Amino acid sequence: MGRTIKLASILGLAILFFAGVAFTQNYGGSNGAGRHRRGDRSPANGPYPVAAGVVDPGVQTDNRNAGGTLIDPANDPNGFTSFFSDGLARFQEVESVSGGANNGLGPRFNLNQCSGCHAQPAIGGSSAASNPQFQAISDGMVSGTTNSIPSFIAADGPTREVRFPFFFNSNGSPNLNSPNGGVEDVFTVSGRPDAGSCNVSQPNFAAAQAANNIIFRIPTPTFGAGLIENLDDSTLLKNQAANLQNNFGVAGTFNHNGNDGTISRFGWKAQNKSLQIFAGEAYNVEMGISNMLFPQERPLPGEEQGVGLPPNCMNLSGKGYPEDTSNPNASPNAAVLDDVSAFANFMRFLAPPQPGAVVLNGQAVSSTSISNGSALFRSIGCATCHNPSPGTTQASNFVPALSNVPVLAYSDLEIHHMGSGLADNVSQGGAGGDQFRTAPLWGLGQRVYFLHDGRTSNLVTAIQAHASHGSEATGVEQNFFALTPRQQQDLLNFLRSL
Amino acid sequence: MSFKFRPSAVVCLLLLLLSWIRTGQAQNGTERSGDLSNAARPVTKVPSGVILVKGAWSASSDSSTPLPEGGTLINGVFENAYFGLRYALPKNWVEEYKGPPPSDSGRYVLAQLQADERSEAAHILITAQDTFFSQSPASDAIELAAYEKDNLQSDYKLQRPITQTKIAGRLFTFFAYESPVAQLHWYVLGTDIRCHTLEFVITGRDPNLLENLMLAMNRMELSAGASPAASRGASVFPVCIKGYAETDQLIRRADPVFTEHRFNPVPVRIIIDREGKIKHIHFLSAFPDQEQAIGDALRRWKFKPYLSHGHPVEVETGVMFGHGKDIGPDHETSPAVD
Repeated sequence: MGRTIKLASILGLAILFFAGVAFTQNYGGSNGAGRHRRGDRSPANGPYPVAAGVVDPGVQTDNRNAGGTLIDPANDPNGFTSFFSDGLARFQEVESVSGGANNGLGPRFNLNQCSGCHAQPAIGGSSAASNPQFQAISDGMVSGTTNSIPSFIAADGPTREVRFPFFFNSNGSPNLNSPNGGVEDVFTVSGRPDAGSCNVSQPNFAAAQAANNIIFRIPTPTFGAGLIENLDDSTLLKNQAANLQNNFGVAGTFNHNGNDGTISRFGWKAQNKSLQIFAGEAYNVEMGISNMLFPQERPLPGEEQGVGLPPNCMNLSGKGYPEDTSNPNASPNAAVLDDVSAFANFMRFLAPPQPGAVVLNGQAVSSTSISNGSALFRSIGCATCHNPSPGTTQASNFVPALSNVPVLAYSDLEIHHMGSGLADNVSQGGAGGDQFRTAPLWGLGQRVYFLHDGRTSNLVTAIQAHASHGSEATGVEQNFFALTPRQQQDLLNFLRSL
Repeated sequence: MSFKFRPSAVVCLLLLLLSWIRTGQAQNGTERSGDLSNAARPVTKVPSGVILVKGAWSASSDSSTPLPEGGTLINGVFENAYFGLRYALPKNWVEEYKGPPPSDSGRYVLAQLQADERSEAAHILITAQDTFFSQSPASDAIELAAYEKDNLQSDYKLQRPITQTKIAGRLFTFFAYESPVAQLHWYVLGTDIRCHTLEFVITGRDPNLLENLMLAMNRMELSAGASPAASRGASVFPVCIKGYAETDQLIRRADPVFTEHRFNPVPVRIIIDREGKIKHIHFLSAFPDQEQAIGDALRRWKFKPYLSHGHPVEVETGVMFGHGKDIGPDHETSPAVD
């Protein structure tokens, strides 16, 4: 009898044990009992339509000083003019794995030249109309034996960086409880004559596409970045406080640097604190070149969680780490800097593009239309986030041209909830999967691709994408929809004047 | 050594074996094969158009207590239990897109309404701004309207001065402004409920349409509990008091012990029961680890019972955490004070 009771007790415990496991697996017990998170949204409806005949004037080709420097050589007491030129030259250098003039590329990378991605409308900008990644095999940048061009890389599409929002289970399904979000470089150096025996594969992009577990980013333009870098936090906070009480439903917050807690401001989610960090991370992540800020070779996120890179893919340049260092014996002065510092200086001293005239269907747009568009932009609430001037720079210890300058960036540099339609489910710093930095609009008139993933080259589509479930911009979108066709066209004309 | 058959031992061994197999399966199922998966066909896909990876977001300690952002629109009626609001929309009006989560400054987008198929060039935005975390100097609907009016940018022109009007038997503050260049008008109506200013912003091209929409708001029902007297305790709702946790009513306090060092503000709205214990916690904007740490601390807080007309009543207030002031796991919690 006693034995029967014992047996029954053990079996009962076993049933409870397995029932518990099953319950936890089915209902996500890892979220913790007693927590009720709200705000899950169903997929977005169709976009707000614009009136027939309202069109994006398209990429403007007049000279707006894109790619020029803000340094006045006649007022450059610290002698940074030559540093801008040096940075510009290094920005265009073609990187090799080993044995070339500039080494350290790979083992994984997205392109072998900064200016290949930051190209439109001038060096330092965003994605060009045609994508150099598409030519990677035919140009000999990568081996066609070991690499293929993924289907989402098109000759006439945007230059792309790829991320997988979630890690995969071994059965090929995305594990929604395991966020990834790191960059999955498009190419490997394997098979290149200068890459030795390194043999690593491209990520399985086809599997990621089949699982809908893939998102894209395009290069952020860096014009005027030195002015953005030189805005004091208190200026941004004051600007935020002034805009909080609006009647459009817009709020916004800041992303912060994890080390010192100050406002970070570069990158699509404002995840990078400074241009130095921005350049160092890009050099490591996009080109595979270790440097003084990121001294280690970078595996893919999945490799990082496993055993890292194989030994035969390490130290391919043969010079040790970091692959980019300063050059104490070089001359002139600018050449002493490491590449990352040179890149940062180049971006820091890039002037913001100047507004210009707009051509629509071959006809010059009237200045009245543009000024109306500007007023409409403010009136319907666009300027609540895309603030024409979030403030004036603090005094600069670099060049006078960075001191006390109104920053006409059309951005508050805050991160905003942009809703389910734009969400990429990638978290960076304090920014969640649906939060993005207000994209600065200076230079927009000469941009080809819009939004973080370059999903469109049509400004109208980009505006429509601002409305979806959970977006702070839906109220403003409703106002845009309420405008007359003439007013909507004025607003588009204005945007292409920037 | 003699061997004696014990069924219980056999069952235990079987269980261990099963458990090992099961654990192995589970581990295989969740193994991070990362970015190099060679599986041809995934079993599941990432759903499109869903925000799965959230940053700081809203959450609460229980699902039964109504939240300010918890309104629903069913069969043309917008209901919000927290504010005691029932608003029958004009015919064929809908909410096409839900609003964002609450902000870290205590701002809620409760609804964004418009005519179905966008057949009328007007829309209604319903927001709430609490007084607990507001960054504006306004503390009620009248002051908020004055603040908004005084800070109208030069693109706008005041159309109707601030007045008070009765809607659905309740006093609302009203003013209107327009954008001459956009030819759009904004009618702003605000009222105070539970330490929040509830605002209805009606926007459109045709003032007559806006007037009609404003008149249609008379169909709205606001429960007696949402009356101004509610904030003084004469209601089924808790009495709401800004800064209540900063008074000597708080007799025992524990600081949260955070596991991550973050810099976001974490506004937390709490309801204190009649005995002085916290019965409900609402995180307006927090990361899960912050919710855990703050929730654990708040459950140790104790207040003196709040008396209204000699009887203890529930109290609602807000407490701000975060802002990078908090120290990580090495921080010692302050001693509880009884």
